[in-house]
Amino acid sequence: MTGGQLINAYLAEITAALPGPAGARRDIVAELGSGLLDAAGAYRRSGLPPAAATAAAISEFGDPREIAAAFRPELAASQARRLALSLAGTGPLVGLLWAVAVVASHVAVRHAPPWQWAGTPPGSPVIFPVAAAAILITVWTALATVAATGRLTRWLPARPRIATSTAAIAGYGAATADLAILALLASQLISAPSSLAPLPVAAAAAASLARLTLARRAARQCLATRAALT
Amino acid sequence: MRAETLKGHLDGMLLASLEAGPRHGYAIMEALRAGSGGQIDLPTGTIYPALRRLERADLVQGTWAEASGRRRRVYQLTPAGRHMLDAERGQWRMFSAAVTALLEPAARPVTP
Repeated sequence: MTGGQLINAYLAEITAALPGPAGARRDIVAELGSGLLDAAGAYRRSGLPPAAATAAAISEFGDPREIAAAFRPELAASQARRLALSLAGTGPLVGLLWAVAVVASHVAVRHAPPWQWAGTPPGSPVIFPVAAAAILITVWTALATVAATGRLTRWLPARPRIATSTAAIAGYGAATADLAILALLASQLISAPSSLAPLPVAAAAAASLARLTLARRAARQCLATRAALT
Repeated sequence: MRAETLKGHLDGMLLASLEAGPRHGYAIMEALRAGSGGQIDLPTGTIYPALRRLERADLVQGTWAEASGRRRRVYQLTPAGRHMLDAERGQWRMFSAAVTALLEPAARPVTP
């Protein structure tokens, strides 16, 4: 094997043992690869032939399984943090789109001022509490995840197991909230389709549908990463 | 020096290695080795997860940068990292003074 092949085989072994999104893994492995080239360069300058220099660099870096194991909690914490931050960022946006859709439907289609409430869609006595509970749970678990994986880890050890759990709960909570609101929309569409302002409602529904899909997938990935923690 | 002995102090040493200016991962390892006269010799691969942890805690900032013809991830201290380094240094001075006073027989006051 050439030096490059040796390094690639070593990095492939680490990649295979790392959980989490491909992007984060690629970044980590790229950094390790660049470090290995630095180390091999240092050995070459000290007089070793190229192949021996690469072998020495690899042995200096250590057991690939150990390196992957040291990265696992870190990857889990940053994955949980990323999901929680993206939920915290998109939550208000999706909420705003729905608020615009409701007000626009009310004012433009029904020709009534917003304070003259025209009644709620059928199914709301059940769906509203579900959506409210889901939003509440999402907000709290997302904020807790962001807090526990950020600056707090300067003084307290990060708990990647707990962080991936709370992030997954937040992800599923957001998906539940989206599902509940879309169900509400469906019931309104069936009972009184002409009461909706098409464009704002379509925009809000598209945003909810997109977030529902992404949040569910990210939550599932968080749980997979959690399962890979030993 | 074994990895377990260093465990609680690795973060402080990594921060200290960046005090003079930004460095990439392998340069940090070389600084630790040279600065300790070869006493600190961890598997080099293990400092990379530690650097990522410090980065998430906003104590260092890592950025990919082009340096001497190749892309490297370069780390530098954040203002919070600088504060943390000062705090670690103060704690270490107190701790090492106390342990030295207790372990070194010559340091003990002699009673006639």
